[in-house]
Amino acid sequence: MKRTWPQSIALFGGLGLLAAVIGLPFWWVASGSIKVPREIISRVPTMVPHSFTLQHFEKLLQSTDFPGYLLNSMVVALFSTAFTIALALPAAYAFFRMEFPGRAALYRVILLAYAFPSVVVLIPIYGLFARLGLIDTRIGLVIVNIAFALPFSIWMMRSFLASVPREIEEAAVIDGAPPRVILLRILTPLIAPGIASVSIFTFIASWTEYLFASVLIVSDAKRTIPVGFAGIIGQYQIDWGLLLAGATAATIPVVILFAFVGRWFVSGLTEGAVK
Amino acid sequence: MAGLSLHSVKKRFGDTEVIAGVDLKVEEGEFVVFVGPSGCGKSTLLRMIAGLETTSSGRIEIGGADVTHVDPAKRGIAMVFQTYALYPHMTVAANMGFPLEMAGLPQTEIDAKVAEAARVLHLEPYLQRKPRELSGGQRQRVAIGRAIVRQPGVFLFDEPLSNLDAELRVQMRIEIARLHQQLGATMIYVTHDQVEAMTLASRIVVLRAGRIEQVGAPLELYHNPDNSFVGGFIGSPRMNFVKARIIRRTDEGIELSAPATGLAKLIAQPRGASPGEGTEVTLGIRPEHFVAAKGSDATLAGQVSVVERLGGVTYVHASLGDGTMITVETRDDKGFGEGADARFGIDGSKVFMFDADGQRI
Repeated sequence: MKRTWPQSIALFGGLGLLAAVIGLPFWWVASGSIKVPREIISRVPTMVPHSFTLQHFEKLLQSTDFPGYLLNSMVVALFSTAFTIALALPAAYAFFRMEFPGRAALYRVILLAYAFPSVVVLIPIYGLFARLGLIDTRIGLVIVNIAFALPFSIWMMRSFLASVPREIEEAAVIDGAPPRVILLRILTPLIAPGIASVSIFTFIASWTEYLFASVLIVSDAKRTIPVGFAGIIGQYQIDWGLLLAGATAATIPVVILFAFVGRWFVSGLTEGAVK
Repeated sequence: MAGLSLHSVKKRFGDTEVIAGVDLKVEEGEFVVFVGPSGCGKSTLLRMIAGLETTSSGRIEIGGADVTHVDPAKRGIAMVFQTYALYPHMTVAANMGFPLEMAGLPQTEIDAKVAEAARVLHLEPYLQRKPRELSGGQRQRVAIGRAIVRQPGVFLFDEPLSNLDAELRVQMRIEIARLHQQLGATMIYVTHDQVEAMTLASRIVVLRAGRIEQVGAPLELYHNPDNSFVGGFIGSPRMNFVKARIIRRTDEGIELSAPATGLAKLIAQPRGASPGEGTEVTLGIRPEHFVAAKGSDATLAGQVSVVERLGGVTYVHASLGDGTMITVETRDDKGFGEGADARFGIDGSKVFMFDADGQRI
């Protein structure tokens, strides 16, 4: 169906508005991080920077603990993502293919993890981790992140597994491949977009997690970016340039992640298999 | 190469019985084709032989060994799927070598066997390509190659040519026939295309509602169907069925008539015991067995509805007096006009008779 001019204008206008709503805050943060302090706080805000400076980034890296926070966040997010995928993949395969009593019920029950606000389970988890010696450890944060990311990841991964034509799996069964080989060598490459989606979901959830990181981590050296960042906002003054530079720097790993896994978001991965 | 036996094999999904006790013996090197309408259970039976479906009761033997509850990979079978089921992320060589890799063969041996299968199937130039870079026919050849390298006792084909266009289907059919001659392997082939069944099979198994209706060589089923279902299923265009009544038994055979269809008198030969006078029967007349009317009493009268002229033959579709639709094959491409009344002669020696249950008389 061909669009009329008014329809096209309405469509692109709407899309442009949505893009602006999403994109402008990012632009504001990124452009603000390279403005001189006076321009940042000027009465008339500038959309396009009139000045250029890297002083905020220099201060961020030299005068704050930001590099340490960045490293901590990186370690926590990467391990959380890797373990979530390593656990979600076989769990999703089990829910998808294996016959065991209570499969359907268990599959629904795991989503109950999202029924409670995280703050409700914060105190019990704190008590549990205190007994296990996991307070003020990055391992503790990794465990919490995995626990919250896993149910949704299993659901997501299972739906991707269900999209693989059954005959491919049956052919592998006849070829003598055991379930482990079918999962790792046949199905995993075919659900790469699913793995990429789960990776991004888990990485961002871990990268931005604030509540548990602020309670379970005590020492400054082990803080992640969201918590560490809160310390940059002083009680009596806010260094806006520093804050914007930190926010910009904090998004860089996520951007790199998208660029890295984006190539897995290709359609037609099973093309040629069954048609 | 191995034979195969099915002993009272049944399959139930809950309360529904989809395979209702099948007994079949397939000799070594035979090419057996399962045919039947959609939902008759032919693919389910093949999947049970492969081990992809469990068997509710009965026994499956391959090469003399009971494999009813054996893993698919250990049954000595290989299967070619309708949808090829290639591993899309692997090259042609890796696809074909995968079963050998799973069997733990050394890489040099895998390479040699893959090269040999590629030679047989003319796939040598494509070994390093991915499935998406191949045509439909080439993909199906890769799927066959993956089956060949295992040197299975029994090859199973589940409608392997259904996804191909008409021209390629003919070509691949010839290749499969050549392959069977070359390998001399036992092959079981599922199709709903009776041309494939007639041209490829040593024996055809006709299935309906999970039961075997008849097993036999293609021409045996064509010339000697046990019931109206087999008569109707084998042969293209389909056999015509016309109701008639037995008038009397004579020395020459049974005399029948069907006034509503214009059939005054027809003498036909029963296969077994002749039923009594007055019995209602169904006549089975193949479209190619009609003859010129020439004032004979053994004719059907009807009105021509559609004439399909294919060049070599012409198909005349006509409606008889009782509303029965028939198809008549003729070489006369000018003798029938749409809407005209016509008479169609019947050769009594080629007419089949079926009782009320559809069983051959």
